Amino acid sequence: MKLACVIHRYGPDIAGGSEAHCRQLAERLAARHDVTVLTTRARDYVTWANAYPEGRSRVNGVDIIRFPVRRQRRLKAFADLSDEVFETRSSPERQEAWFRENGPDVPLLLEHLRAHGDDYDLVLFWSYRYYTSYFGLPLVADRAVLLPTAEEDPAIGLDVLEPYFGKPAGYLFLTPEEGELVSRRAGRRLEPAAVIGAGLDPAPPRPDRSAVDALGIAQPFLLYVGRIDRNKGCHTLFEYFLEHLDEGGIDTTLVLAGPAKIPVPAHPRIRALGFVDDAVRDALLAHARALVVPSPYESLSIALLEGWNHAVPALVNGDCRVLEGQVQRANGGLYYRSAKEFSEALTWLLSHEPQARTLGLQGLAYVEREYRWEVVMDRVERLLAEVRTRRS
Amino acid sequence: MPQSQPPVVPVDTVMAELQDRVRNRLRAELLQHGASRALEDPEVFAEVERVLREAASRTSVRALLLPEFLGDPAGWRLEPALTYPSHRGAMAATMIRGVKQRLLMPALRWLFEYSHDNFVRQQRVNHALFACVQELAIQNAELRRELGRRADR
Repeated sequence: MKLACVIHRYGPDIAGGSEAHCRQLAERLAARHDVTVLTTRARDYVTWANAYPEGRSRVNGVDIIRFPVRRQRRLKAFADLSDEVFETRSSPERQEAWFRENGPDVPLLLEHLRAHGDDYDLVLFWSYRYYTSYFGLPLVADRAVLLPTAEEDPAIGLDVLEPYFGKPAGYLFLTPEEGELVSRRAGRRLEPAAVIGAGLDPAPPRPDRSAVDALGIAQPFLLYVGRIDRNKGCHTLFEYFLEHLDEGGIDTTLVLAGPAKIPVPAHPRIRALGFVDDAVRDALLAHARALVVPSPYESLSIALLEGWNHAVPALVNGDCRVLEGQVQRANGGLYYRSAKEFSEALTWLLSHEPQARTLGLQGLAYVEREYRWEVVMDRVERLLAEVRTRRS
Repeated sequence: MPQSQPPVVPVDTVMAELQDRVRNRLRAELLQHGASRALEDPEVFAEVERVLREAASRTSVRALLLPEFLGDPAGWRLEPALTYPSHRGAMAATMIRGVKQRLLMPALRWLFEYSHDNFVRQQRVNHALFACVQELAIQNAELRRELGRRADR
């Protein structure tokens, strides 16, 4: 098949979740299909400033066409419009304006879909919230497959999404919860659809403790991996963790591996390592007592899957349905909805080592069952074939 | 996504035990600080917790009825976004708006961001309270309907 993948940013140096998902899938699809990625020149997800050269290139068997971003994101206008459309009963016009302000504003990409959309058998769109998907998908709806990467954040409540979610010819969801959320917003069961998640290779052999010891990290420790950001729930994690210690909870260290976008409290039991290389990251994952995922909004947590890939039990924010659902399906960890539940669950993981280890192994078994690449690609191929058959 | 074999450590069982412990601890703390004696009954407490938790999870303004009856939104709604209105003519308004945006705003940004965060939090609490009132009104309506049915029998 001739496939197009539409994504707001694309490149091996881009760390975003949906962007990495798109690249990994596009490169694997390229083994069997003719794959073209339609994307922008942007590298920065805040401003969308043009950075990559315009035009055609080919990387890892995938053809890439980059279109210029017409104007950078106007942050103040976008923030104000977000307040307006999320907190009031705004008109469809104002909601559409929100998608325009969110960007990246790439009219030439839309032109390409208008002029050449029929050249592709199927067009896959990542992330409904961006201009590229919101305005691009309706232009090729009869052959469009949407990967919404939807989370239970304010944007999902916009009224204009009800008709939008009904338009694609097929759907690929990351979790069953995401599928239910998008179906609920569309007001009907969406078909054909498949829950694919994301693929993972088996973890490397368990490294010894030397990399962890070199950092002076005492056992047992609780690990957070990823950007240290308010949107990821890190401020609440700090509050709950410090409350746990203040109230005499079992002593442990919170280790943070990732760039900090918010201040990290100065406390002897909180260690912020900043960006770490793969070897240190693997050692941390292999020796953590538990991996904490505090994010309130997730369509799929790759960090959670990586933790289970290393047989580490998880401690996740139960207010995020996706995380709670993943943990329940995997039997791979515990969840919390308050500071007290956080402390109780952390205490259990620290004081029940054999059972905690079993939770981690159950998580690994879940990854083996659901998230190895051959399983994921089989689901993707079957869905794409079904959409194509229905079209013809 | 079916489970291939029963788990050795079932998450639901562990979570039920943990949540029960937390609930009992919380109930004891509330009672110790003078909460209603009705909460001494663990079943009542669990039901109250369920109602409030459910309400707190449905705070999207599009899912709330009460705002429809509060009249003109300008009279009650918090406006976290900062606007630069002016009653002057177009030329003067543009100049004054420019001064506000380019000179005053950068100097006062810290104050604006502090206020903005607090407005957003207050808005969240307002919506949670709206949702609680809505949930209680629904339950009240359902109970009235049930009482009516029983009276008709």
